[in-house]
Amino acid sequence: MLRLKLALLNVLRNGRRSFITLLAIQFGVISLILMGGFFTSMYEGMRENVIRSQLGHIQIYQAGFNQFGSQQPEDYLIDAETLHKVTKLVESLEQVELVTPRLNFTGLLTDGNRSLAVVVEGINPDKESLLSSAVKLTAGEDLFEEDTDGALIGDGLFKSLNLSIGASLTLMATTADGSFDARDVTAIGAISTGTREVDNRFMRMNLQHAQALMYTEGVTRLVVLLNDTKQTDEVMALLSQAFKKQGLALELRSWSDLADYYHEVVNLFDGIFFVVQIIVLAIVLLGIVNTMVMAVMERTQEIGTIRAIGGTRSEVMGLFISEAFILGLIGSLLGVIFAILLAQGITAAGIMMPTPPGSSQTYPIRIFTEADLLWQNGLFGLLIAVVSSIYPAVKASRMVITKALRFA
Amino acid sequence: MTVVKLQGVSRYFPVGNTPITALDKVDLTLEKGEFVVLRGASGSGKSTLLNLIGAMDDPNEGEVFIHGMALSSLSDKQKSQLRSHYIGFIFQSFNLIPVLTALENVQYPLSLQRVANKEGKYRAAQALEQVGLADFIHRRPNQLSGGQMQRVAIARALVTKPDIILADEPTANLDSETSKQIMDLLGSLNRNTGVTFLFATHHDFVLSRASRILELKDGHIVKDEPVQHLNLVNQIALGEEVG
Ligand SMILES: Nc1ncnc2c1ncn2[C@@H]1O[C@H](COP(=O)(O)OP(=O)(O)OP(=O)(O)O)[C@@H](O)[C@H]1O
Ligand SMILES: [Mg+2]
Repeated sequence: MLRLKLALLNVLRNGRRSFITLLAIQFGVISLILMGGFFTSMYEGMRENVIRSQLGHIQIYQAGFNQFGSQQPEDYLIDAETLHKVTKLVESLEQVELVTPRLNFTGLLTDGNRSLAVVVEGINPDKESLLSSAVKLTAGEDLFEEDTDGALIGDGLFKSLNLSIGASLTLMATTADGSFDARDVTAIGAISTGTREVDNRFMRMNLQHAQALMYTEGVTRLVVLLNDTKQTDEVMALLSQAFKKQGLALELRSWSDLADYYHEVVNLFDGIFFVVQIIVLAIVLLGIVNTMVMAVMERTQEIGTIRAIGGTRSEVMGLFISEAFILGLIGSLLGVIFAILLAQGITAAGIMMPTPPGSSQTYPIRIFTEADLLWQNGLFGLLIAVVSSIYPAVKASRMVITKALRFA
Repeated sequence: MTVVKLQGVSRYFPVGNTPITALDKVDLTLEKGEFVVLRGASGSGKSTLLNLIGAMDDPNEGEVFIHGMALSSLSDKQKSQLRSHYIGFIFQSFNLIPVLTALENVQYPLSLQRVANKEGKYRAAQALEQVGLADFIHRRPNQLSGGQMQRVAIARALVTKPDIILADEPTANLDSETSKQIMDLLGSLNRNTGVTFLFATHHDFVLSRASRILELKDGHIVKDEPVQHLNLVNQIALGEEVG
């Protein structure tokens, strides 16, 4: 009780020094929370963007598609009957927002002068517009079911072909039975998925039109959108169980299985965050060790006195570590509070980020202050404070008593 | 009862090539209830002797026994506990903890012994009353005079009921009037509590309270004599010597 009070009084004793120590701890906690929160929001933005522009949460394929489909995609299509059955089954799950079919193939798009290889996606426009909410229309109008021959052209492709809205184009492709066919399409709009690579060679058209071109009634995949990304694993398990039970030869991929680029970026930025953590740790540690050593030196005679009147070495160590603990606790709490306020301020300010590499969209800086991030970094601040007191505390506890007492 | 025993204790300090001999083969026994004054010129080894008895320093030769325990056999922690329970210290510059009140300063050694807060407060208040500071218990050191601070320090040394209180020139920073009051206090505490005092000083007026006088010279005890009951005239004469 009194021993703890002494630690507290010692913290208050040199206000300026305690203030500096508190600042150092707060600096560490705030910078880590802001950075971590920004990264979290960036990860989330990337994740949701890739889910809502390309991948959905879960994709369902004919069994074998992922292994062999790239050689003979036409052999691994989901047939119309299975499509119907699976759609029903998936829609019956409460976690599912929607499920929509896609037929993918590569083709050659020509405006009469030039031809470009394109990745074609036959879609159900009504459902797809809900799923692909992150796909932005950059020119023209959206696709509807009535636009039999309408096509949405990736805006990179749109530009490189020098197209204008309403332009007539011809799309050629190898059909499911191996022959060659062509259809006329009209460019009714340009779209951007947010990924430049994709936008340079991507187009969308009505599923029926695509199926007619391919001479098939099947689809490449079914894309499932969930109410919440967190439900992905749970629904994956439910579906694979249900497919097995019904004897459906299908396979599943989650957005995470498909989003290689997302994982690469996350790994890279986690690495950066780790390095920053070490740097912050070093700065704060040195700052606190320095002020603590000063405090120990100043109180040399007092340390001698405590030892003379019966305080053990661990008593002295405990005293200085308690002081650091108190400072760490206050500093971390203040750090967390200020970090939340700053995060809200920065998010509210809506500052725009420069376009990230490989992306074609800008977005405002947002900083997420999730509970995990807050307590982990708060605890980190507290630990730094305690760890940095260990050396000064040991130094204090090892003083030669008679020398310490003579110290004036 | 023997409280302190030194057997052939020597202490050298390495200064340059030739070590200084601060104490040279000292034998000494202190009995319970004695009021021993340790005299000697500056550098004669008084502080060195007190530090050794106080288990804060180790001799190069010989052995120090406190309460029958050989200090050389004790760990640092055990020495701390020995100091806590058997020894009280009074310092020249009082050495109070500035952030604590008088009461808390006196309670602190008890809390080092893990005495419960309530009991500690009670015993600290009692000790402060014994030294005549009942009205000042909530003051901090910087709100007290030198004499009052030394009384707080005396209460702090007393509160754990030690066997022996070691005082290294406790009046050196006080004016002579206050010094005499402090000496009177220590004398009466010695009579009332039976605690042994070992008191290093070069003030002569202290001698009037002594039951035994030790004199150190160049690390040797050159004089060790009991003080017979002094008569009143002598006491006054000695007291006025200083005033
Ligand atoms: N830590 C030390 N290092 C070196 N020499 C020391 C040390 N402590 C004491 N000495 C020497 O030992 C001798 C005795 O010193 P000590 O402090 O015991 O004397 P003292 O009688 O207390 O003197 P004073 O009246 O000045 O306090 C002196 O010569 C002193 O210089
Ligand atoms: Mg001395």
